[in-house]
Amino acid sequence: MRRLIPFALLLPLLAGCGNRNLILTVDILSFLNPSSKVVSYNIPVPAPSDTVEVFSDSLNLLQGVSDVTRAVAASMDIAASFDNTSGAATGSFLIYIASADSSSPFTTTPIANVPFTLLAGQVTNVSTHVDASASLAEALTHDKAQVGLRVIFNGTAFPIQGTETLTQLTATVIMKKDL
Amino acid sequence: MTKVTSLTIAVIACALFAGTAESQTLDARRLGMGGVVTSDVGDFSGSNIAFRAVPKGAGGTGSIPLPLGLIQYLSDHPVYDSKDSLFNIYKIANVLLNPPLTIQLVKPKEVSGDISIFIAQDSLKVDLADVKRVIPENSMKQGGVMHLFGIHRNFGKGFVQIGSLVHLRNELTLSNQLRDALRDAKPFTSNTRYGLTDEGRAQAAIAFQVGYAARALYRAPAKESSTDPRQNRATALYLGAAPKYLLGLAYGDARGEGGVTTGDTLFASSNPVTIDMDSQTRNSGIGGSGGLGSGIGSDLGAVLYWNNFELGLGLNDFGSQIKWNVTRRRHLYDDVTNQFTTAVVAKDEKYTSRIPVTTTINVAKRIGRTTLAADLVDGDLRTTMHAGAELWFGMWAVRSGIYRDQNQMAQFAGGGGYRFGKLGLDLAIATNSRNISRERGAELSASLSLY
Repeated sequence: MRRLIPFALLLPLLAGCGNRNLILTVDILSFLNPSSKVVSYNIPVPAPSDTVEVFSDSLNLLQGVSDVTRAVAASMDIAASFDNTSGAATGSFLIYIASADSSSPFTTTPIANVPFTLLAGQVTNVSTHVDASASLAEALTHDKAQVGLRVIFNGTAFPIQGTETLTQLTATVIMKKDL
Repeated sequence: MTKVTSLTIAVIACALFAGTAESQTLDARRLGMGGVVTSDVGDFSGSNIAFRAVPKGAGGTGSIPLPLGLIQYLSDHPVYDSKDSLFNIYKIANVLLNPPLTIQLVKPKEVSGDISIFIAQDSLKVDLADVKRVIPENSMKQGGVMHLFGIHRNFGKGFVQIGSLVHLRNELTLSNQLRDALRDAKPFTSNTRYGLTDEGRAQAAIAFQVGYAARALYRAPAKESSTDPRQNRATALYLGAAPKYLLGLAYGDARGEGGVTTGDTLFASSNPVTIDMDSQTRNSGIGGSGGLGSGIGSDLGAVLYWNNFELGLGLNDFGSQIKWNVTRRRHLYDDVTNQFTTAVVAKDEKYTSRIPVTTTINVAKRIGRTTLAADLVDGDLRTTMHAGAELWFGMWAVRSGIYRDQNQMAQFAGGGGYRFGKLGLDLAIATNSRNISRERGAELSASLSLY
């Protein structure tokens, strides 16, 4: 009952959508701890596919949404900046989203895989728009969701040192009423 | 959904809502004159009991509506299945607010559109797009007093009447913060309560009425051309009174308020808001606790004629009240335990409900075959004004009018008619705002007049 109450305020209005959509946009970045948004990395020696798990966190989302809607589409906009002070690497920037009952977001398939190339003394900006899986839509329409960020480095010059800053992490879910 | 089912819904809508004071006017003659009431135009619902005593004039004695709108409704009606992708609750609401008895020439823009919600940890913004038009600037009021299914018998200047009386009223008020958030898409903020208040009342009774209407004063003109005081320049005063006994069938009211209060950060915890709900209800009725109610009331009226000028005052349900033995309950939501509790506060408590007075003041002036008229109708929830004119050219009539409706909007009307002896055919086109978004639409009404 409690879960439904806050969103129930909008129900009479949502019912009037007819064949229209409810577009839910979540600024996931705002839910993250500041320490999760800016992370320093340091890979001193060669290692195959060195992995940095930047963070894993849970989000509180709009209560009751999944009780009255069904997700029909979802997408995500991601952007990050690498201020690479030394070394060089190619790599992948992986985003994971899972519902709150998952043991860890990293046990799921990443919903985004953004490739990047880092060179010494350069700032590299990466961004992408992904039309993500149904699991993203499902996770975002529940009360809570877990989000994780993992960076995989394939180094070519060492040590690889720098700072990664997450600058955008926005999810959009398009839903229809399901009353 | 079958056409039969859709038609059934339309008939129910017509039965429930077409009789209210501010619903559509089905008399095309009256509608063409802006919905104005005079002693011989559009008073077949009995807005002034003194009109009963006024001699029949040239203006007509009755009206038979021609519900042409049902044909349009059957070919284009809302989807009533909530699982259907075309289901739109606002279309259905418009059927209830505007029963499909007239042809809709200009329909208000359909309420639809995508709803957008933006969430950040300390931000929530809801953009309802088209649906914003549904949310009024002030409270939402619905209801009225309906006198339905009456039978009566005249005995000279007196009459007896048995009829049903239904009074419905609901008023929903959003707090300024909630209204701003929903109507103007202002972001929700922290440490703010978003609340609403709803007050509803419904009561039904059978009215047993005895009435008398007669001429109290008559000063004949120098040259009396007819017995019609509207046209013969006589000075005349007609009075009417009809006390009534009200047998209360059922009564119920509810007053509730609720809201959610945001915390320091909108989405900081698993329970980001504090919820409060508190309501009180009273009820009594036949077959239940409290049983039947009992009350009295009256209809009063007066109309004065002077030099072909008419001034009328009608008071319906004047002093009407019903005594009940109600059960009063309080319903409370506890945010800590996440439980609703209901407690009986009082049982068989004495309570007197009132039926709101409907006051009708009308003026009219006849100049030859031209009638100029205006009225003011003050009811439970709203005050409306109407003004109109009718000009006859042989058997043809031309009409126009203007009125201020329940949404305080100016509306316009015009029409015409042709008289075939004792029968006339009338058509009228009028604008209105009887829809959920309170936008201007236009309708075509048709009816037969009895002369």
